[in-house]
Amino acid sequence: MSKIMPVDILSSIKGAKSSEAVDKLFDVIKNAEINSNSSNQNTKNAVSIDDLRADVVENSSEITKQIIRENFPKEKDGYLVVSKVIEG
Amino acid sequence: MESQIQKIHNQLVAKEFTCTELVKEKLALLKENKYNSVNTVLEDLALEAAAKVDAKIANGEEIGLLEGIPFGIKDVYMVQGTYTSASSDLLKNYKSAYTATAIQKLLDAGAIPMAKENCDSFGHGSSSENTVFGSVKNAIDTSLVAGGSSGGSAVNVAADYTVFSIGGDTGGSIRQPAGYNKIYGLKPTYGRVSRYGLMAYASSTDTVGPLAKSIEDVAIVMNVMSGKDPKDQTTISSEEINNAIVASKPEGVKIGYFKNFIENDAIDSKVKADFLATIEKIKAAGYEVQELDFFDADTLVSTYYTLAMAETASNLSRLDGTNYGNRIEDKNLKETYMVTRSENFTEETKRRIVGGNQVLSQGFSDAIYLKGQQLRTQIEEAFEADFNKVDIILSPVTPGPVPKIGEVLSNPHAMYLSDAYTVGFSLGQLPTLTCPFGTETGIQVTGAKNKEQTILQFANFLNQVK
Repeated sequence: MSKIMPVDILSSIKGAKSSEAVDKLFDVIKNAEINSNSSNQNTKNAVSIDDLRADVVENSSEITKQIIRENFPKEKDGYLVVSKVIEG
Repeated sequence: MESQIQKIHNQLVAKEFTCTELVKEKLALLKENKYNSVNTVLEDLALEAAAKVDAKIANGEEIGLLEGIPFGIKDVYMVQGTYTSASSDLLKNYKSAYTATAIQKLLDAGAIPMAKENCDSFGHGSSSENTVFGSVKNAIDTSLVAGGSSGGSAVNVAADYTVFSIGGDTGGSIRQPAGYNKIYGLKPTYGRVSRYGLMAYASSTDTVGPLAKSIEDVAIVMNVMSGKDPKDQTTISSEEINNAIVASKPEGVKIGYFKNFIENDAIDSKVKADFLATIEKIKAAGYEVQELDFFDADTLVSTYYTLAMAETASNLSRLDGTNYGNRIEDKNLKETYMVTRSENFTEETKRRIVGGNQVLSQGFSDAIYLKGQQLRTQIEEAFEADFNKVDIILSPVTPGPVPKIGEVLSNPHAMYLSDAYTVGFSLGQLPTLTCPFGTETGIQVTGAKNKEQTILQFANFLNQVK
């Protein structure tokens, strides 16, 4: 059971639809020839396990916390207000 | 041109003027600004930093080469406490909570942050007209575009508002505006400079690089910004660029250029003639020059934009007004997302997000996105093969001359095609420098990965024979 989701929903942009300018680019890709001898280079771009940083929680500085609060779109009675997530 | 950084450094040390005087002069120029090149002037930050440099000089302390040097920052970099708008309505009032690694390194070296610079919104453009702060005007002819997306950065350097600026290059966004404003602009090897704190456009080709008036200044800034960063795991280690080697004559290097870039109908006849004249000068100087075969412009542009749109659709999906940005409330969460994004993104940004979601969606991803990835692999392999034959690849920066303001955004497909000569090197993650000569919009000098010193050295030679 699959349902194709339209691009306006996928993009969260009202009335969004594909554009001719972009479709022309995609047509070039669809019609391009792929050399089947080409190697798979994906592993070359992978990050080595030795280079992964430690997964630790770092406390933000007070100034960082203050700016994050300042950036929050809405505040009421000392609480940061988000949009209503669960519909009644 | 001689190093502006070295010149100002010597003048500061010789007390010809104070750092505060220098910064005040530049601040006045940035504020008066007839090019629309700035979104925010960082007056307090700049004056505070300048006072520290003056105090050191007054105390007889030594100052570093970058200490007291005014620089500009494309408005896509986080600098704690400053507005970082990406030239968009969505983030017009967003304040950075932290500072980008590359910028922090420059601040630590004592460089003075002067302004957050106008650019195409989220890097989406080739003219710096896709901005809510008004189109950036070219520094040489104000009826022309500044180029993009780092247009404000290029103009500020060209107009001497900043000594150097830090731009971002995903598919040509440093190199093309550098060429349009006749200055140097370097897109480094992918990963050489940390992307931490750069607002992401297309993460697999996003790079951080300098725009400056001299090759030496490009090297000085690169040496400060380069290096591995635990906050960006795609960073690589690199060797310092040696300015003495850069200044010496390159010996035994082989040069190549893509024949099909030059022999096609899309290239302007003067750009072609000027480029070929440069090739002749290089041959006359005794260098071996080879013609190389490469992918056609349509394939390069389509591959780049397919992947870049897919990546930007993913990267910008977080911008929904929930935790930051200009949230517009509506009847429920979904509608709030929809209205916030519809009202706050520009038409070009929306076009790219929609294109990206199209190629990532069911039924399209195999035929377009995954095929685009395969093409990219082939392009990378072709570069590898070419750099077994030659050390340097030269190309024009753009197929045509600098467009007039108003000509670019009205024809998006033509805009995408105008990036034909820059996007391939981005897909290859290669270092490429725009030099402000060779054609009307400059010449690109490209090397294999991590060969920044080689390309700067050859560019220095080109500057002497131009």
